[in-house]
This record gives sequence, structure tokens and C-alpha cells, in this order.
Amino acid sequence: MTVFAAASLRGALEEIAQAYPGDVSLSFGGSGTIARQIAAGAPADVVVLANTLWMDWLVEQGTHIIEAPQPVAANTLVLIGPKDAEPLAELNDLPARLATGRLAIGHRDAVPAGTYARQWLEAAGLWDEVKDRLAETDNVRAALAFVTRGAVPLGIVYASDAVAEPAVKVLWHAPASDHDTIAYPAAALTPVGKTFLHALTSPQAGLIFTAHGFQAVIQ
Amino acid sequence: MTSDAAAWEALRLSLWVACWATVLAVPLALWIAWILARRDFWGKSLLSALVHLPLVLPPVVTGYLLLMGFGRNAPLGRALDSIGITLAFHWSGAVLAAIIMGFPLMVRAMRLAIEAVDPKLEEAAATLGAPRIAIFGRVTLPLIAPGILAGAVMGFAKAMGEFGATITFVANIPGQTQTLPSAIWAALQIPGGENQAIAMVMMASVVAIGAVLISEALARRVAARIAGA
Repeated sequence: MTVFAAASLRGALEEIAQAYPGDVSLSFGGSGTIARQIAAGAPADVVVLANTLWMDWLVEQGTHIIEAPQPVAANTLVLIGPKDAEPLAELNDLPARLATGRLAIGHRDAVPAGTYARQWLEAAGLWDEVKDRLAETDNVRAALAFVTRGAVPLGIVYASDAVAEPAVKVLWHAPASDHDTIAYPAAALTPVGKTFLHALTSPQAGLIFTAHGFQAVIQ
Repeated sequence: MTSDAAAWEALRLSLWVACWATVLAVPLALWIAWILARRDFWGKSLLSALVHLPLVLPPVVTGYLLLMGFGRNAPLGRALDSIGITLAFHWSGAVLAAIIMGFPLMVRAMRLAIEAVDPKLEEAAATLGAPRIAIFGRVTLPLIAPGILAGAVMGFAKAMGEFGATITFVANIPGQTQTLPSAIWAALQIPGGENQAIAMVMMASVVAIGAVLISEALARRVAARIAGA
């Protein structure tokens, strides 16, 4: 069984795969890269992506999907700083806290986490003020690394990334209404894949997702 | 900014970064190549290995090492910052990444050229009373010029195509660090972004073909001069 999955799911999926009765090999990458590989005929049984846009694109490409895509987990967005950062009194203090530094986010168009971050900043009325003070990265973990290495004072990452990194502190939680739903849709591409897809929405998998900072979707 | 304007901006920046990287790296690479080809000293293999390391490491790792060494919070980065050289999230950081990534290719080509020079020619010049600097300038340099040119072209090409180390070290800031490869990558990550990516790939190809044609013409002129000398 081969599972192609968005890189941000690595920790949780590795644990779920270990608990799964049967051999599962996991291949991680960016959602766009994975979607293109699957459309080009990559031998995957299950695909899990970090946003619905790419899953819609896969369906549009006429990819043979056994069972309709369904969300297996959800995530939230957080503003982070170094672990010794002062708490933020209000979100509007963000530009002042940046001072001359930059705000690390995933690329606004190319990385799902960056797109959600842009939506949040737009909803908060801060986008115009910070859009020329961004450090946009090729994946959300690189934005996290900028904050942990002290290259930037602040960053916006998934709650699950902040859970995985003890060197950072969560300064603000994005209201879920400020950005599109952060869902991880999964689809089975072969009959074998169906059983693993169901395992992803089991209560046991839900516990693992939750422990890694995601929100579980249990069916 | 429209996507067209962004593509031209990325092209301009890529050429700017690649030119700077080549100009700065050629003398340094020539010096290192000279040492590796002509000198024997303790730690020579280590120096050679160090120079070649970026060829072996995944570019993302090289970028991360640069971030740890030259980032805003790193000692080297701070020291450079205090004398007015800002690398973090600045085009000069992209130049540094391009130099490091292209360096092994440049050194390799130049070292082979230096090793191929027959020392007897230099000795002959010396017996005729030529000073060392004149021997280098009038005997050695013309002989290794094709190697230097080949190294420079390799370095320029690597700088034009470098992606992983650059985006990891200095991110993807339009006009500052968003080079052509970064822009192409970003376009490919958007559903339906293929056309924009293809347009930029054509730009990159035109530059690459142009650079090869220019270097071939230069190489011919150098060869003609050596033959005539």
C-alpha cells in the first residue's frame, strides 16, 4: 500500500501507518507536487492533500477515484514567535512587533498555509501593512524554521507545526471564520486504498491526529 | 503586479544575481583551484571535500546551513550586518547562495585546466628571465583561459538555475529574492499555473541558449588567440 500525502501530515500519518495492520509506504511532498504526480499516473493507493483546491483539480483531471474525497483531518492557523516572546495584547500590534523584521509565511499563492495566512491577514485588515514585509517560503515548515532560527521575529504556521516545535510560542490563534476551512481531503485510488482511507477516520486515528495538533474528523 | 511584470522582474533579478555571483566567484575559485592544483599542504583533501560539499548535500540543507551561519541571529550574519552587508532576505543573500552552489563546478573546471598546463613551459619562461607575475600573465593565464571561461559559464548557469538553497536561505520576496526558478516553482504550485510557468521556462531557455552561444564565441576567440600567440 502506497500513500501519497501532504508533508505537513508526516508525524501523524507515520504513527497511523505504524498502527495499521499491513505494510504502508508513505511518500510526502507539497500538495501541488503530489497532485501532479498522481495525475501523471503515480502508483498510489491513497492520496491525502493539504487543501481542497488540489483535490478538486485532481477530480477535474479525470483521475480514477474509487471513493469520493472526504476530509480526514482539519487544522487551524496560529501566529508564532520565539519561545521567550512577550504575549501579544492584540493582533493589531503585529506590525509593531515585526519592527524591521519580516513575517514568515508559506508562499501566498503556492503554499496552502500561505494562502490561509493571507486570508487571515486580509480579514484582520493587516494585509496591506505587512504584504511588503513578508518572507514567503516554499513550505510551511521552512517558515517555522525561520522563526526557530531567529531569522524573523514572527511567523504564521499551522497549529500542528507549533505543537511539533518546542522552540516557538503561539501568540495568537486565527479565528476559523477568517480563512477557508483548513481541511485535509483524502481519496482512495484503488480498492486496497479504501481500507486505509477508512482507518484514517477511525477513533484511534482521531486520537493521533489530535495529539499532533490537528482536529480529527471521525466517521 | 501582473504576472507578466512579475516574470520580467524575476528574470531581471536572476540575471543580476547570476552576474554578481559569477564576477565575485571567478577570482576566488581561480585562487582555490590554483592552490588545489599546484600546492601540497596539510588538509588539502579536506579543503577539496569542503569545496565539493554543496554538490553532494541537498540544496535545501545548504540553504539551511547558510541560514544558521549568515542569518540575522547568527554571529557571521551579525558581523556582516554591522559593517553594512545585509544578507538576510536581500538579493545579496541570493548571490551568496548562488556562489556557494556554483563554486564546486567552477573550481573543478579551473583546476583541471591548471593541472593540464605543462610546467616546462613556465620553467622555460623562467630560464629566459621572466618574472613570476609575467609568467602567470603571459604563459599560464592564456593556457588556462578556456578553463576559466568554462568554470565561469558553469557558475553562471548554476546561479541562474539555483532554487533550493536560495528559497531556504532568503525566501521568495518579489524584486529581492524571487528569482526565475522561484517564480516558476510558485506558478507550478497553483492549479492552472502551467501557462505562466511555461512562459518563464521559455525566458530561462532563451537566456541559457544565449549564454552558451556567447561562451562558445568567447572560447573560439580565446582559442584563436592562443593559436596565434
